[in-house]
Amino acid sequence: MSEFKGKVAVVGIGEVPSGKFPDRPCLQNAMEVCREAILDSGIKKDEIDTIIPTGTFFDRRYNTDMVFSKLVEELGLLRKTKNNFQVFAGGSSSSVMLKTACGLITAGLAKVILCVQSDKVGSSPTQQMINLFATFGIPEEWETPFGFFMAGSGSLFATRYMHEVGATHEHLASVVISNRKWAVLNPNAMLRRELSLEEVINAKMVATPFTTREGNVLADGGAAFVVTSADRAKDLPNPPVYPLGFGSRVCHYSISQNMDLTRLGFYEASQEAYEMAGVGSKDIDIAELYDGYPIFPLITLEGLGICKRGEAGSFVYEGNTWPGGKMPMTTNGGMLGQGHTAAGGGVAILVEAIRQLMGKAGARQVKGAKIAVESSMGGTFMDSHIVILGKELT
Amino acid sequence: MKEYKKPLPQPTPWSKPFWAGCKKHELLIQKCKDCQRHIFYPKLFCPLCLSPNLEWVKVSGRGKIYSYTVVYSYAPTEFSEDTPYVVAVIDLQEGVRMMSNIVGCPPEKVKCDMEVEVVFDDVTQEITLPKFKPVS
Repeated sequence: MSEFKGKVAVVGIGEVPSGKFPDRPCLQNAMEVCREAILDSGIKKDEIDTIIPTGTFFDRRYNTDMVFSKLVEELGLLRKTKNNFQVFAGGSSSSVMLKTACGLITAGLAKVILCVQSDKVGSSPTQQMINLFATFGIPEEWETPFGFFMAGSGSLFATRYMHEVGATHEHLASVVISNRKWAVLNPNAMLRRELSLEEVINAKMVATPFTTREGNVLADGGAAFVVTSADRAKDLPNPPVYPLGFGSRVCHYSISQNMDLTRLGFYEASQEAYEMAGVGSKDIDIAELYDGYPIFPLITLEGLGICKRGEAGSFVYEGNTWPGGKMPMTTNGGMLGQGHTAAGGGVAILVEAIRQLMGKAGARQVKGAKIAVESSMGGTFMDSHIVILGKELT
Repeated sequence: MKEYKKPLPQPTPWSKPFWAGCKKHELLIQKCKDCQRHIFYPKLFCPLCLSPNLEWVKVSGRGKIYSYTVVYSYAPTEFSEDTPYVVAVIDLQEGVRMMSNIVGCPPEKVKCDMEVEVVFDDVTQEITLPKFKPVS
């Protein structure tokens, strides 16, 4: 069941700042993060036998270039790299890229894998991007005719959650407070200003209960990570980060077909991942949780068993997830702080988990962190992924 | 009738009976003749047992609001003049879930678990949308 454990390691990361950079071509995001990740890993470039570019939303032609091996050519790896293919699940591309890489390494089908994400949704024509994200993942026949759209998607989860557990808008909004506190410490984050609860709650209402401050802001960005065998990792400069456990469930395509919007698949995913990793909720030092909207980190904290059902809101509200808190959460600021770079929102959170375990997180470094959990969700929060990563093998 | 400019459903061969039912102000959903399960949205075969033996049955149109949101801003352009409007997920008595709008009720009065019933909105000559209002 967990044959990859102890055989696979993440050994290098790269990331460019998120933001709106109209003059920075998307290819520059991709190339800079590849170069940084390769140099960071200490692996010789020519050892990369597999490149996995995840999907890009802003431009179909650019995305096709990524699928058609442009990076292999740009990185001077023609006739050296054996595979270039896309692994893409929207926001959960982070977890599924790493999962795929683990399988390939363990099976002996690849030795060194470069996983790359780049996008330019922040500085592409605004109306075009709004229209794109208004329709993506919204069933055209059954939801679009009723005025449903992506920016309202988190709200349906939040309304039911508040109804079932008695959470307040302040509880939800406190996730923004927490993520912004971390974003202040992250030089790659776009939204580096702390917000007060009043600023969040009194901002312009989008779709109840969420205001503009509780939605994520589209950004350009990119990130990459290098995966290899644990053996190869032994003489590389970074402390290796080991994938220890994976768990996941796909719970809907249409939001209206999800039978439990207040739990999603995070209970099952967490149990699976804990069992595989041989750890439990008490062992988690950092929770790098996918946000998108403030409701999701709360549901995930409860699915992970870090909080009891209904208590995640007050847990975050009380400051437990802030810098210096007992459960540091989404320490790059998440999409509510670093910015939403399409599939990159999730990749940035995974890269942050790796960065923390490597001890390279600078001002936001969580001291002594040994085990981190990463969560991710794609589409209209269709799937629930949990990945457990460790500095040591458990 | 004023020209309707919002996005319309494009029925598929297997969803046409649903939209034809709406046009006659009847809510029809599929039922699997083999496993007896109600199915929504329309499928080519039963998602539970994969049987293609499906029939269309008329349902009560009564249900409860599972969740909802009141949209105030950043709505898709075609809906912007309707704000605030309510998008809701409704659990029909027959055990299926569907998305729709809640009408005939001030948005701030809408609550989870509120009992609702279907009303039909003839938005064009061809298309009638099933919407829901609180049970009086």
